[in-house]
Amino acid sequence: MKHGGFAAVAGLAVVLAGTPYAQAPVAPAAAPAPAAAPAAPAAPAPVAFTEAQLRAIQALGPWPTPVRADPSNRVSGHPDAIDFGATLFADPRLSRDGTLACATCHRAGRAFTDGLPRGLGAVDVDVDRNTTTVQNVGGQRWYGWDGAADNLWAMSLRPMLDSREMGGNVAHLAALVRTDPVLQTRYATVFGQPPSGDDEHVAVDVAKALAAYQETLVTGRTPFDDFRDALARGDTEAAARYPAAARRGLAFFVGEGRCTMCHSGPRFSNGEFGDIGISYFIAPGKVDAGRHGGIAQLKSSRYNLLGPFNDDAKRATATSTRHVALEHRNYGEFKVPSLRNVARTAPYMHNGSIPTLREVVRHYSNLDENRLHADGERILKPLGLSKYDTDDLVAFLESLTTPLAP
Amino acid sequence: MKGSQLLVLGAALTASAAQASTQCGAALPGDKRVLENARYQVAYQTSVNPVPVGTHFIVDFAVCPRGKAAAPSSVRVDANMPDHRHGMNYRPKVITIAPGLYRAEGLLLHMPGRWDLTFDLVTGNTTQRLASTLRVE
Repeated sequence: MKHGGFAAVAGLAVVLAGTPYAQAPVAPAAAPAPAAAPAAPAAPAPVAFTEAQLRAIQALGPWPTPVRADPSNRVSGHPDAIDFGATLFADPRLSRDGTLACATCHRAGRAFTDGLPRGLGAVDVDVDRNTTTVQNVGGQRWYGWDGAADNLWAMSLRPMLDSREMGGNVAHLAALVRTDPVLQTRYATVFGQPPSGDDEHVAVDVAKALAAYQETLVTGRTPFDDFRDALARGDTEAAARYPAAARRGLAFFVGEGRCTMCHSGPRFSNGEFGDIGISYFIAPGKVDAGRHGGIAQLKSSRYNLLGPFNDDAKRATATSTRHVALEHRNYGEFKVPSLRNVARTAPYMHNGSIPTLREVVRHYSNLDENRLHADGERILKPLGLSKYDTDDLVAFLESLTTPLAP
Repeated sequence: MKGSQLLVLGAALTASAAQASTQCGAALPGDKRVLENARYQVAYQTSVNPVPVGTHFIVDFAVCPRGKAAAPSSVRVDANMPDHRHGMNYRPKVITIAPGLYRAEGLLLHMPGRWDLTFDLVTGNTTQRLASTLRVE
């Protein structure tokens, strides 16, 4: 049956190959040029996906993915916990000086990012890294640019306790929930009992309610998803609505560009880490160790999935934590970000050093291989893209973003 | 559940060693692949087939010495992408289920493409490596 489905999709490739080029961006015609004039670039050829490319396209969906409760969080998926988490997410009292809520940096109107190269902390200092979106965060293997957390509640706890960010501590969080009558009541509703005298336990529960809320922040469907599904069901009319430029960019993305080596699956990320030649110097003489430091933090954390706060006695989701390997090459590696809603999450990279999608594509096009680890991967090569190729790839990336409601 | 089945099957393997030596991996239920060199045969199967990208999987395998070769004193399992010069981001753990029968846990292939699944069989100062190619999409 699976093979039959692919055969149907492969058959569609013939149709797409013959699709008129009506939606292509205006490109110089391929007519003969005057003898003295430079040759005009040829118009891009219509897209004919190979069978391998069609399989790769199918592997980028479907979207959204099925929602599964997190067994490490006993309130994951509970409506009361989601509501409580939403309230906490917007409450600046979670920060030590009462000025920063989660929502201050993860702004709903900016795809739950802050739009800044690096996040701003409570003490008005830049943190070292770009603020990542909290959309589509449920069910990931690793969290944060360095993957120092293996679960969403630990990831939610980290900025609340970080002196450079919200600057609090477990005693501050627990006291807030114990002393505010509304929060205390809602905590009791969610967790079945009033907040205990154990500060750390209450603080982790706050983080678990925040995680339950964030699991619900799922991006909507995109033009790419509609195209991918149209291919799957052999709907040529629906597939033809996908712009030709995006289609060409997609063919490059899953083909020659080999972007799906890392940006794979429905999230457009393999959830792992890589070195793509972005500087990991934070300041002169100070480096961001990236994944190398993240693994060290993970292994020493009380809040990892092997620790005492995992609500799942079987540790069913702890396999990655048990087996993760610390390698020298992890130094300066950062997490492969999801590309969903990527047009709304600028600036890009772990340090926010690239302001636009077009410049991200240029980074890969002109990649300086000398900046990659000598003992690292040999996947990345300069793509050497023309202006038209760049336009196509940007058009494809933009098609991974949910259209705004009219 | 599968582990307990293997324990039982492993006991059966021990009880009928002669049969196992002629049919390496007979204790493994279902489809399996057999690798061999002059000294060993390795029969293995993966908990998911085909192996998907980005999902942990288990490898159950039998090691069968050939001729006068000694049984390995230790066994390691790993995977790498030769074209990319990197391995996995995870270090598998090998558990002995029964004499000659093992389970490797914690493997995860994080990229599509060609992976070499390797079995290192250590006897004294010698390591014999048998490898199997997996194409992952």
